[in-house]
Amino acid sequence: MDTKVIRNFSIIAHIDHGKSTIADRLIEYTGTLSKREMSDQVLDNMDLERERGITIKAQTVRLDYKGKDGVEYCLNLIDTPGHVDFTYEVSRSLAACEGALLIVDAAQGVEAQTLANVYMALEHDLEIIPVINKIDLPSADPERVKQEIEDVIGLDSSGAILASAKTGQGIEEILDAIVERIPSPSGEKEKPLQALIFDSYFDSYKGAVAHVRVMDGEIKKGTQLKMMATGKLFEATEIGCFRPAPQALSRLGPGSVGFVCGSLKQVKDVRVGDTITTQEKSAANPLPGYRGVTPMVYCGLYPVDSQDYDNLKDALEKLQLNDAALVFEPETSIALGFGYRCGFLGLLHMDVIQERLEREYNLKLITTAPSVIYHVHKTDGEMVKVDNPSDLPDPTTIQYIEEPYVKATVIVPNDFVGAVMEISQNKRGEFKNMDYLDVNRVMIVYHIPLSEIIYDYFDKLKSSTRGYASLDYELADYQQAKLVKLDILLNGEPVDALSTIVHVDNAASRGRQLAAKLKEIIPQQMFEIPIQAAIGNKIIARENVRAMRKDVLAKCYGGDITRKRKLLEKQKEGKKRMKAVGRVEVPQEAFMAILKIE
Amino acid sequence: MTNDKKKYGVYIHIPFCRQKCFYCDFPSFAGRERFMDEYVSALCTEIVHWGQAVKAGETWGSPATFYIGGGTPSLLDSRQISRLLSAIAEGFGSIDDKEFTVEANPCSLTEEKLRIMKSFGVNRLSIGVQTFDDACLKRIGRLHTASEARNAIKLARQAGICNISADLMYGLPGETLKQLQDDLKEMLSLNPKHISVYGLQLEEGTVLYRQMEMGRLELPSEEETEAMYDLIADSLPAAGYQRYEISNYALQGFESQHNMSYWQDVPYIGLGAGAHSYWQGARYENPADIKGYINRIESENFSWQLEEQLGQKQHMEEFCFLALRTRGGISSSAFRQCFGQEIDDVYANVLQELQSDGLVEVDKEGVRLTSLGMKLGNRVFAEFLLD
Repeated sequence: MDTKVIRNFSIIAHIDHGKSTIADRLIEYTGTLSKREMSDQVLDNMDLERERGITIKAQTVRLDYKGKDGVEYCLNLIDTPGHVDFTYEVSRSLAACEGALLIVDAAQGVEAQTLANVYMALEHDLEIIPVINKIDLPSADPERVKQEIEDVIGLDSSGAILASAKTGQGIEEILDAIVERIPSPSGEKEKPLQALIFDSYFDSYKGAVAHVRVMDGEIKKGTQLKMMATGKLFEATEIGCFRPAPQALSRLGPGSVGFVCGSLKQVKDVRVGDTITTQEKSAANPLPGYRGVTPMVYCGLYPVDSQDYDNLKDALEKLQLNDAALVFEPETSIALGFGYRCGFLGLLHMDVIQERLEREYNLKLITTAPSVIYHVHKTDGEMVKVDNPSDLPDPTTIQYIEEPYVKATVIVPNDFVGAVMEISQNKRGEFKNMDYLDVNRVMIVYHIPLSEIIYDYFDKLKSSTRGYASLDYELADYQQAKLVKLDILLNGEPVDALSTIVHVDNAASRGRQLAAKLKEIIPQQMFEIPIQAAIGNKIIARENVRAMRKDVLAKCYGGDITRKRKLLEKQKEGKKRMKAVGRVEVPQEAFMAILKIE
Repeated sequence: MTNDKKKYGVYIHIPFCRQKCFYCDFPSFAGRERFMDEYVSALCTEIVHWGQAVKAGETWGSPATFYIGGGTPSLLDSRQISRLLSAIAEGFGSIDDKEFTVEANPCSLTEEKLRIMKSFGVNRLSIGVQTFDDACLKRIGRLHTASEARNAIKLARQAGICNISADLMYGLPGETLKQLQDDLKEMLSLNPKHISVYGLQLEEGTVLYRQMEMGRLELPSEEETEAMYDLIADSLPAAGYQRYEISNYALQGFESQHNMSYWQDVPYIGLGAGAHSYWQGARYENPADIKGYINRIESENFSWQLEEQLGQKQHMEEFCFLALRTRGGISSSAFRQCFGQEIDDVYANVLQELQSDGLVEVDKEGVRLTSLGMKLGNRVFAEFLLD
């Protein structure tokens, strides 16, 4: 295919600004799928993605479109994950494109996340086409949004397209703009192959499948290929493109977007950002920008039923097939037994994995509270990285501890500036600067510990700004902080899985709150259960769960056994979700209790 | 199959009440009295229909027990009671020597109603006494007084119905241990043959539940309620009432056969709105709303809806947790006869754990709750649900 008829683009948008619906309309308008075949939001495949309204895995689709000039164009839409956890994945998707649609909600305006992604797109030299969506809304204010795009992002918005994915307005204009404004890819067929992997997924028939953008050279069926970063060798057994179902092709030439699979058993072999080349005539250098996976947040995952340990391992391995960002290694907890320490890109990533394990693999899991990676500098000069509070070395051997800080960017209407500042201050944030984006909206930047962000910073932000705040953050640096380990003892025994690392100033109140919260969560049992919070040997809080007195079925009315049975089933179901720690039955949510305290 | 006719019971539901008790979430309705005539007609149709169906087969003889419950059966007027009872006699044949219970509310029981009941063979009355504290009765929405309860028992005896069961509740709003002691003393002095004891439970949708949600309900503390439970569990047996089932106490020979059949896997036919049936291995229910029930009977003579067909696993679970409510517990031989395997084959681990927690005792005869096990019954029962 002549590169002149190819256009590669992605869509940048904040959650809910209509990325998926615009994509759907494009698919529909170009006849790639008939209306009958369209299910809502074709590209968000996973149930979870649809439920949460977010894209987790990137998807691509090839659209055929006859331009105004009568030429048949091939438009490759590369959908990008829309969450701050997946920034690196977004950057690789953008690297595979020459242009991007910037979709902004006509009523809401520019949000923090949009901003981060637009800057990233600009770094990749993409041609950006602003699209103001939802102009059918009564509250739409396209002129204000246009102004904002100019003022905040610094983009010329004179060519912005007014659209409504709902009514279909502006869809044709968008397609024409893609053809006319986004440059066609460059690239030479004769050069050694360089194909960028911007995503991968696991197919139970095909194995690991790489989403690629061919920069130079071409991939033909049967070519012997090589992954430049991992060194993995394989043969291209099937290549093709997505429409949006996979369709086999005999070759992928320069500028093309499609998929490659071979004898690749796991997505670990198919690293996002890696470069594919041929074994015979290898490229001299890989494409720039490859980065290993660096988890930011860790937590322990343990099966409620210890017999599920192997099933958990299988499930994690299967998920890893599809998610190279998931890392895990075996871990043992005195309280919880055998499980895995898992690393995630962020909290959403953690949530998603956990939910998929429970839903798709039917596992009952205990998740311990998430932890960041602490740099613990010991008196002997050694530095150890600690991602599990119970691994914190003896305090007497610690010289100081550093914790990760992020640069957090919050955008809110100016009425809420005070609220944002109060929350950020309470979360040990350090004010950096504040900019008025327009008369109403303010961008506030804080330097703040990541550990505070992964607790409840965003929830608090949302609730105290009536949902208006948008947040984006990126790792900034490590800073020294006075941190201590807060331990919890149940029935006199320390429960390692309940330990957390907290700032010394908050330790006492967190301890009291955590003990009180646990008292609410842990159900009465046949004996009294003391709950204590301790720092070192010092008990700082104590609560008691009283012994269960009685639990008797009342009158069994008129032989309605089914109803009694349902009550018992509920009781049993509740017990199944608990973990025996010593003699104490502890519900799953107890291990996340630290996230639930005020 | 042997030639013996199989045993079964008949339950008839009367879903009317003058006022709904504040703790009650059973299918019963206040202010629906205008449907009573129509309802009794429908009920009679269903009774005759079922009586004929059962008589037509080889398997079933006449019912072993009859039980008219509610709601408030005594709220029916004399004419309605008499129509109902004649339909039972017509449908199911002789009822003379069978345990035949009617539930009654102290304030709606009259000499005339009692005489009619007696004449049709009703030989057992279950009277909702609950407590002898008038203020407390008011707090739980009962419309009668303690003296009306005493009087109802007297009337029943005068009418020649001497097998009397009284309901007693504890853990009521504002109740003290002292008050319960008085209640027990009074109850024993009335000398019923049988006492059913229920701890108050707050069910969603009841008046008390709403009061609790609004913070306007004062209940005895957990410790006090436990002391009340202990007091009852100690003093009734001491007075000769054996605890033959978790919430039922009786003088020797006056255990309720009908209630026992629920726990002993005996089939029962439930008739009337909201009634439940257990018949040929399946559970059924009738529509709970009065009008819906009447309509179904008028159009089809029949209104059972399948609730669930019990598979072997479910049957086993229910067999066990129901039997455990009784003093005899699960009988090894009955289990074997029913399922062709030993209890241990299925529940060895469960039994071991429960035994080590002191909740059940296990021997050759079977498995039964210890007194601690009775107190924590739900915990034990839930363990008998299989995965």
